Amino acid sequence: MKKTIRFSKAFLPMVILSSVLIASGVFGLATKGINLGIDFQAGYIAQVKIAPTALAIKYTGAQSVTIELSSRGIDLVMTGVGSDNTTYSYSYVDYPTLGAFAAAVRTIDGIELMIDAPESTPLQALFADSVSLSRLSSSKVYRLHFLPENAPAVSTDDIRAALVSTPDAAVQVVGDPADRTFQIRLKDDGSDPAASENLRLGMISNLVSVFGESNIAVVSSDFVGARFSESLATQVVLLVAATLLLIWIYATIRFGWDFALGAVIAISHDALIIVAFIVWTRMQFNSTTIAAILTIIGYSINDTIVVFDRIRENVKLHPELTITQNLDLSQTEILGRTIITTVTTMLAVSSLFFFTTGDMKDFALALLVGMTSGVYSTIYIASAFISFISRFRKDKGIRKEKPTLVLSKSGEVV
Amino acid sequence: MSKRSRLVLILVVIGICFAFLWPSVQWYFVTPKEDQALALGSREKIRDYAHNIAVEDLKALVSAAKTDSQDPLAETYSVLITEAKKNYRALKKPVPEAWTARSVLAAFASESDALSYLETENRERILALKKTQSDAVKLGLDLSGGMSVIIKADLDAAAESQKEAITDMAAFRSDAMAQAMDTLNSRIDRFGLSEPVIRKQGEDRIYIEVPGAADSERINSIIMGKGMLAFHMVDSEATEAFLNYYAQNPTRTFDAEYNLLDASVIPADTKVLGYYKKDAYGLDERVGFLVVKKEVGLEGKHIQNATTTRDNISGSPVVTFVLDSEGTQIFADLTSNNVGKNLAIVSDDKVKSSATINEAIPTGQVQISGGFSAEEAENIKAVLRTAWLSVPLQLENQQVIGASMGQQAINQGLNALMFGLAAVLVFMLVYYRGAGINAFVAQVLNLFIIFSVLSALKLTLTLPSIAGMILTIGMAVDANVVVFERIKDDLKLKKGRAASIASGFDHAFWAIMDSNITTFIAAIFLSQLGTGPIRGFAYSLAIGVVSSVFTALFVSRLIFDFNTDVLKKKTTSISWRVK
Repeated sequence: MKKTIRFSKAFLPMVILSSVLIASGVFGLATKGINLGIDFQAGYIAQVKIAPTALAIKYTGAQSVTIELSSRGIDLVMTGVGSDNTTYSYSYVDYPTLGAFAAAVRTIDGIELMIDAPESTPLQALFADSVSLSRLSSSKVYRLHFLPENAPAVSTDDIRAALVSTPDAAVQVVGDPADRTFQIRLKDDGSDPAASENLRLGMISNLVSVFGESNIAVVSSDFVGARFSESLATQVVLLVAATLLLIWIYATIRFGWDFALGAVIAISHDALIIVAFIVWTRMQFNSTTIAAILTIIGYSINDTIVVFDRIRENVKLHPELTITQNLDLSQTEILGRTIITTVTTMLAVSSLFFFTTGDMKDFALALLVGMTSGVYSTIYIASAFISFISRFRKDKGIRKEKPTLVLSKSGEVV
Repeated sequence: MSKRSRLVLILVVIGICFAFLWPSVQWYFVTPKEDQALALGSREKIRDYAHNIAVEDLKALVSAAKTDSQDPLAETYSVLITEAKKNYRALKKPVPEAWTARSVLAAFASESDALSYLETENRERILALKKTQSDAVKLGLDLSGGMSVIIKADLDAAAESQKEAITDMAAFRSDAMAQAMDTLNSRIDRFGLSEPVIRKQGEDRIYIEVPGAADSERINSIIMGKGMLAFHMVDSEATEAFLNYYAQNPTRTFDAEYNLLDASVIPADTKVLGYYKKDAYGLDERVGFLVVKKEVGLEGKHIQNATTTRDNISGSPVVTFVLDSEGTQIFADLTSNNVGKNLAIVSDDKVKSSATINEAIPTGQVQISGGFSAEEAENIKAVLRTAWLSVPLQLENQQVIGASMGQQAINQGLNALMFGLAAVLVFMLVYYRGAGINAFVAQVLNLFIIFSVLSALKLTLTLPSIAGMILTIGMAVDANVVVFERIKDDLKLKKGRAASIASGFDHAFWAIMDSNITTFIAAIFLSQLGTGPIRGFAYSLAIGVVSSVFTALFVSRLIFDFNTDVLKKKTTSISWRVK
C-alpha cells in the first residue's frame, strides 16, 4: 500500500493562498475595473483591414450570379432561365494568379471586371469585404481586396486620427501589424435610436476620406444596443447563482449538505480565480468568458465528486479513521486519476487554444486556468472545508457506521 | 442488461444517428452548387424559375414536333417521357419504342397539360432540395459569414399611440408583435436572399439571420425602413402592354432582384409591382403584375380605422375604412378625377389589393367590395391596419461577419478538433495501452452522435459548438479514465479479468453519473444565456455529456466483454504495471 500523503497539513496555508489570490482579484476589480466586452458595453465594434481593391466585379443580366470564396478556390454560381445553371469553379491550383482568373472569368457573358493589382497577384491571397452582397449586381461592385507585401505600415494613431467624428474611439491592432487589420470600437450612449447605422456610417466616411473608398475592407462588425447589454448583465448573475444552487441541491441529495457545501465552495473558488485572472490579464469579459466560468462550474466539480465517492467507500472500509484522515487516504488513492482526467481535458482544450484566435482563444485560456484551479481546489479547498466543519460534529469526525458487507453485482464480497 | 441487448441498443443508436445525418450528406456532398443556389432562393423565385423553364422546354418540344424531328430527346424531357408512358398505358395505346417530340406530346390532352406537368415537376424537384437543406446541419454565421440582427419591437410605444382604442392589452401586444413579424417576413422574403431566418425571441424581440455575405446597408434599410402603405393609381394600358412584353420575354424581363432590365418597357412615371394574395399557408403569393403610377395617390397615414362587414343585400364581404379630414379632401379629388379607373393598395412595394373607383368619394368613408372572399377581406383589413398601427422597431444588436472570416473560422475549428482528438487519443493509447482502443472507439462514436443530434435538432454548427465538442471529447475521456482506474484497482487485488471489468464498471457508475449530471446542469443553464453563439456551445456540451455517458458505459464495456468472451482474452492490457 502506498504511503498516505498528508494533504491536510497544507490546508491552512493553501486556504490563505487562495484567499490572497481571490482578494487580489477583487482589489484589481475595484481599482482597475474589468475590461468589459461589447456584450456588456453598448457600442459598435468593427474589424477593418486597410488594403487596396485588387478586383472589382459587376454583373448585368437576367441570371442570378453569386460568388463564393472557399479554401479551395473561387466559385461563380449562375442560376436562372436562359442559360444552363452552371457553377464555374476556379481552383487556386488551376488559376494561381489574378491574371489567370480574370482571363477566364471575362469570357462569361455580362460580367465586367476592373483589375487594380498586378496580374501575378496570387489568387488565394484575395479576400472579401463583409459588407458586400455575394450576389453580383450591376449597381454595386463586388470587391476583392489584396494586401501587397511591401505596403507601407499604418499605425493605430493613423486610424485614430482619421476617426475625427468619434474622438473617443478605441483602436487596436489585430494580429500581425503587417496585416494592417484593426479593431475599432465606438461607444453608444443610448441617446441616438439609429446608433447602429450612424456609428457605422460615421466610421466608414471618416476612413474613406483618409484612405480612399477602395482601400477599406470591413471584415466583421458587431453592434450591441444599450438596452440589450443591460438585460444580459442581470441574466448572467441570475444564471450563475441558479447553477450553483441547483448543483448544491443535487450534491446534497447525493452526499449530504456538508460535502455538498464543500464542493460548491470549491467551484465558486475556481470561478473567482478565473475572474481574478481576467481582471489581471485585462482579458475581455464577455459572454464567451462567462461561458467559460459556467463550464468550469460544471466541470471542476467532477473531480471533487470522484473523491467524495471514494471517501464514502473508505468510511465503510476504515470506520476507525477520522474524516480528516479519511480525506488524506482517499485523496492519495485517487490523486492519479484526478490529475489524469484533468490532463486529458486540458489536452483537448490546449488544442483549441493553439488553433483559434480572438474570443475562442481567450475562452480556451480561461478554461485552462479554471481546470488547473479545479484540481487544486478539489485537493485543498473542498477537503479543507469538510475537515474544518467535521470538528464541530458531535462525533468529532468519526462516523460510526457499521462496516457492512456490500454485495456487488458480480457476486463478490467487496 | 444482457450483452446481446446492449449490442442491439448500440446498433440502433448508430442507425438512428446515421438517418439524422443523411440529409446533411445529401446536401453538402451530393447536391451540385447551382441546384443549391436555386433551392436557397425564395419561393417566389422558385415558382418563377419552374414556370419559365417549363415554358422554354415546351416551346422547344412543340417546334420539334412541328417539323416532326426524329432526333432523340434531351435529358430534360425524361420526366415527361415517364409521364407520357403512363398516359399511353392508361389509354391502352401501344407505347412507342423510340420517343419523338410528337409522340410525347400526343400523350397529353393539351399543351397546357404538358406545361403544368413540367412546371410541377420542376418545382417539386427544387422544393425537395429545399427540404433536404432545411434538414441538413447548417453552418452558423461565424462559419458561413453573413449578418444577424436582433430587433426590439417597441410595443409600449405602439400601445401609447393607440391608448383609447385598446380594450385588451395582452391581445393588442401579441397582435402588434405578429404584425411586426409579418412585415419583416414579407420585406425580407422579397429581397430573395438565401434562406433567411426570422424568429421571435422572448416577448418583443425578433432575431433575423441572413447567411452568406450581406450588404448591411441595404438589409438595414429593408429591416428598419418605415412600413409604407399607400394608394397608387393603376395604369391599365401600360399594364396590358407590359404583360404582353413579359409573355414574350419571360426570361429577359427582370434581373435577379426583379428590377426591369429594360426600363423603356413602361412609361417613365410608372413602376411594375407584383400583385400578391395570401396562399393557403398564409404566405404571400404573387398572382400577377400591375403597372402603377409612381406618384402616391393617398398616403396610408390618413387612414384611421378599418373594419370588415357584409353587404346588406348581397351578403358579400365588404371592407370599410375611414379617412382623416386631410385625407378625405385628397381622396375626394383623387376619386373624382379618376372615376372608372383602378386604384391599388400598395404595402412595401407589393400590391395587396386593387379596386375600381365607381364614383367620387367626398365623405372619407370608403367601401371596397366585390370580387373577394371573407378571408381576403380580413387580409385587406390587416394590410390597412398597418397604416396607423405602426410598431417602432429598434435595432439592438447587429453582427456582420465577412465570408473570409468564416472560412478562417472553419479551418481553425477543424484543426482544433482534429488535433484535440488526436492528442487525447494518443495519450489514452500510451497510458492505458489496449484499453485505450476502447476509449478511441468511444470518442469517435461520441463525435458522430453529437453531430447527428445537432442535425436532428436543427441546430446550427458554430465555432463555439465545435469548441463544445472539443471540450466534450476531453471530458468524455474522464469517464473512461474513472472506469479504467477502477479496473486497475481491482486487478491489483488479483481479481480475474472478467470480474475486474464487471466490478470496475459497477463501482464507477455513480461517480460518472454524478459528475456528468452536474456538468449537464451547468450546460442547461448556460443554454439560457441570451446570445446565440453561447447557446451552440451549451447545446453541444449537453448533448456531448449524455452521449459520453452512453459511450463510456455501453460501448466501451461491450468492447471489453467482446474481447473476454469472443477473443477469449485472459489478461487485460490497461496499464504498464498491472497485467
